[in-house]
Amino acid sequence: MARIGVFICHCGENIARNVDVDRVAEAAAQIPGVAHAESYRYMCSDPGQRKIREAIVAQGLTGIVVAACSPHMHENTFQNAVEGAGLNRYLCEMANLREHCSWVHSDREEATSKALELIAIMVEKVKRNQPLAPIRVPMTKRALVIGGGIAGIQAALDIANAGRDVVLVEREPSIGGHMAQLSETFPTLDCSQCIMTPRMVEVKNHPRIQLYTYAEVEAVDGYVGNFTVTIRRRARSVDESKCTGCGACTQRCPQKKIASEFDAGMGQRPAIFIPFAQAVPNLPVIDRTRCTMFLKGKCGLCAKACPAGCIDYEQTDTLVTEEVGAIVMATGFDVQPPTLYPEYGSDPDIINGLQFERLLSASGPTAGEPRRPSNGEVPRSVVFVACAGSRDPARGVPYCSSICCMYTAKHALLYKHKVHDGQAYVFYMDIRAAGKNYDAFVHRVIAEEGAQYLRGRVSRIYRDGDQLVVRGADTLSGTALTIRADLVVLATAVTPRPGSDALAQKLSVPYDAFGFASEAHPKLRPVETNTAGVFLAGTCQAPRDIPDTVAQAGGCAAKVLALFSADQLEREPVVSRVNEATCVACFDCERVCPFHAPEHRELRNRAGDLLRVVSHINEGVCAGCGLCVVTCRSHSIDLAGFSDEQTFAEIGALAPF
Amino acid sequence: MSTETLLTPSAPDTATWKPRLVAFVCNWCTYTGADLAGTSRTEYPANVRIVRLPCSGRIDPHFIIRAFEQGADGVLVSGCHPGDCHYTAGNYHARRKFMVLHALAEFLGIEPERLQFSWVSAAEGRKWADVVSDVVAGLLRVGPVQPTWGGAGELPVRSLSEPPRPVPEPLDVVGELRATAQRWLSDCRVDVFVGYGQGSLPGRLRPAFITSPDEVDQLVWNEHAVNNLATYLTRGLVKRHGRVGLLVKSCDARAVVGLLQERQIEREQVTLLGVPCIGVEVDGALAPKCHTCDSAWPALVDEVLSAEVPLTPVDGEGLAAEIAWVEKMSPAQRRAWWQAQFDRCLRCYACRAVCPLCYCSQCIADQSRPQWVSKSSDGRGNLAWNLVRAFHLAGRCVGCGECTRVCPSNIRLDLLNAKLAQVVRDEFGYVAGGDPDLPPPLTTYLLEDHEEFIR
Repeated sequence: MARIGVFICHCGENIARNVDVDRVAEAAAQIPGVAHAESYRYMCSDPGQRKIREAIVAQGLTGIVVAACSPHMHENTFQNAVEGAGLNRYLCEMANLREHCSWVHSDREEATSKALELIAIMVEKVKRNQPLAPIRVPMTKRALVIGGGIAGIQAALDIANAGRDVVLVEREPSIGGHMAQLSETFPTLDCSQCIMTPRMVEVKNHPRIQLYTYAEVEAVDGYVGNFTVTIRRRARSVDESKCTGCGACTQRCPQKKIASEFDAGMGQRPAIFIPFAQAVPNLPVIDRTRCTMFLKGKCGLCAKACPAGCIDYEQTDTLVTEEVGAIVMATGFDVQPPTLYPEYGSDPDIINGLQFERLLSASGPTAGEPRRPSNGEVPRSVVFVACAGSRDPARGVPYCSSICCMYTAKHALLYKHKVHDGQAYVFYMDIRAAGKNYDAFVHRVIAEEGAQYLRGRVSRIYRDGDQLVVRGADTLSGTALTIRADLVVLATAVTPRPGSDALAQKLSVPYDAFGFASEAHPKLRPVETNTAGVFLAGTCQAPRDIPDTVAQAGGCAAKVLALFSADQLEREPVVSRVNEATCVACFDCERVCPFHAPEHRELRNRAGDLLRVVSHINEGVCAGCGLCVVTCRSHSIDLAGFSDEQTFAEIGALAPF
Repeated sequence: MSTETLLTPSAPDTATWKPRLVAFVCNWCTYTGADLAGTSRTEYPANVRIVRLPCSGRIDPHFIIRAFEQGADGVLVSGCHPGDCHYTAGNYHARRKFMVLHALAEFLGIEPERLQFSWVSAAEGRKWADVVSDVVAGLLRVGPVQPTWGGAGELPVRSLSEPPRPVPEPLDVVGELRATAQRWLSDCRVDVFVGYGQGSLPGRLRPAFITSPDEVDQLVWNEHAVNNLATYLTRGLVKRHGRVGLLVKSCDARAVVGLLQERQIEREQVTLLGVPCIGVEVDGALAPKCHTCDSAWPALVDEVLSAEVPLTPVDGEGLAAEIAWVEKMSPAQRRAWWQAQFDRCLRCYACRAVCPLCYCSQCIADQSRPQWVSKSSDGRGNLAWNLVRAFHLAGRCVGCGECTRVCPSNIRLDLLNAKLAQVVRDEFGYVAGGDPDLPPPLTTYLLEDHEEFIR
């Protein structure tokens, strides 16, 4: 016989203002099966939780309904309280009287009667709740990090330094990512390469890190603690075991005018190339889409030039398989090209922020001296345009790219440092400089470095002779502006790395309309995803700067290490189970399951003869969505915690409203 | 026989009536969106009751049917926007199911206002409030569910737009049929041969299960060979013999494809003998399914009987004409018409017994915990049973028409099946019984599936 306890929270005044809690408590006590009903000002407080625990013990309650806020807010709190009194935590349900009732219905009478019905629904549900036990599965204590930018490097090093093996996969020929491309970093103006390259070398030399560059994740199978990852190692056309990185091949290559990816198109590279001087690994790679040998079938100069004989035109992609227990996705970002707005035209002297970084970088094509791409002269006047694509729902992206205000200020400052008599103009919408010492930095750029900040949009850019004419508005003074510039730098929008959506699909990680991977909870689980064992670091989740990325990567590492701290995994027991007696083995469950949880189980008699094959849900993999339950025509599958019987009971309780 | 209405047991007092809306929502997007409406203090009508489920993919059509049985005036189903699913694809699968359900509800004459679908994200508290307000306003517009007593029973069962046609003379294949069955049995290629034998009434055939080469003379073939013998492939009585030889018409072979697709039989366990068929008889005329049949020859066979097949051009629209006839009625008339149909249901489950694709060892109609379908023959149970049966066959029914032929109450189950087959064909580009390697349409999805019916 069910003995349900109903605990109604006033939530201070939040619920009590619009819901007559005393009347609800009185009426709730009359619901069949309810043995105890009371209301209290703050149910989630310590005295409130004590009331629940005491009532469970004193009244021998078999199920609890806490009528308070959303279960997303405090379900865990009350489950813990219930467990503290010796009742299974899954015998507790919440009726959402605050978000779904008192806060949205001002008519006290209506809200009160609705509140009572919401409680009645949950009473009927909790009567049918079953005690559930956490699920335990074994685990491989080895992590995969996808992406070798600062996020991936940080996560990999943190995990490896804590004594766990890491597999790091980078798509490009070298690790380093965008941070290796940057000149100096805001607001401290550290040389980016000076702080980045030692970390890259550390990765290379770390005994616990297995590094795969020029490689991509091909397939991911399995589940938290037990992933099997297939990695495609693309053919470098260079034997890594023999190459010394001398670079003789790159000097002999007849193709020298290919736009360098590392220099964001500001510099050039040969068809066989080492991406940059400090690349890790310091090995060349043949770009087969541009190499004469691959395009025309003859050349072979690099092979002749190589003293170690390590050029291999016949090399093919290879697939390797790695077993890991956790995955960190750190695939990073891209910036849009500076050609989004037709009214800005497309001109060699209109570049984006990343291209300007390369012009400012000591390792860049101009050795750190800003020069105009059109004629190689030093620009005397530069216009920076912030939000050139960001925060523009109509034509660009609606979100803020988060880093542009700061790097644009930095660009203006670095430019002024290099061209003392030059003039920097910055068009901005508003300045978002919320990081530590960021605001002071922007003020310094404006006040001390003499960058001219203009609040307004640029309406048009066109070439006039040797110069660009930038027409815009200063909305603070209400004047139209025309500025003659030698160079225009657009702070174009930060977007996810192309292909990261395909990877997210392989990892079963949801992503938003722009392709940024979705965290499990924006506040409370910012580095976890809804796929257990998969974590997010850096800009694959949202635009962010280096300190935030490093912090998040460290957070990922901590989560991975915490996961690895137990010998077995514990999981929420909201999973599907198959009734083997009625399963007809159509395996439609297998077809619909996004997680490949259904397996084939052979039923045998004692003599070992095969009787039937039926579906069996791997509890370690099942995420508890219930799709198989609905798909199963014989209803041989049910979902713990959201069973058919519970739901029917909830619907049954709806009648009187 | 029940005279209850399709949706609600009694007409409410319109003066004090307030619409009752049940919302089935996913935990991650819509439930959280509704939370946000709360934290933003966005007011909306108090008529809605939320049932929280993990995913829109967990929202079972039965839940919706039960909510209506329970007296709800409307049901709102809401989940994450495409691409946002917490479980990556639950909402895509749900969208296909909802599409079928939406079409089914419309075909039954249930006002669209009563069954609404939406995507509401965790960030769309405002949208949640707007959707609820809008759906409640729609319910106020259509009012309480009206009883449909009287008049409904007088509507004709069948459209007269397609006149009955004569049955052609059957092809003479009996000799070869018997010889083939004898050869298969003597060669131990099959352990049992399932064909047609003479029935006890004139003009009736019944299934014959031949296990010995000496018995093949029992096999016959004529225009009365209407039964779909594929039904027996999953029945224990036949299965336990081992390898089965089966006589198939082109429509029967499509059911075999369905069974292969759903892994109910192994291809090597079944040897198919195709019989060229130019039409069978139901109620003294050419069976409705034969009007639009375009092939005398079954597609999936191991051997086939030889015969000169006269060219029979496909003409007429068959069931499509009758579907159009039903759809021409007003929603209220349609509801009354179906009400009259379902009221006659005796819950004998002959439709289930004869269907080649109803093979569950325990049907949900027989389960008690929970009780999916009320077991007595009353308005609620009859509606639920017939909807569930039709829904379970969506994308699977091969149109053999056996359910309708055997129904002692002449309920037009074939129209429901054919309507859903139309939806599946038009929306998902899928025809059941074609390629055994294709996934059934309700176990897969396309990113670009239509969703105009979803808010």
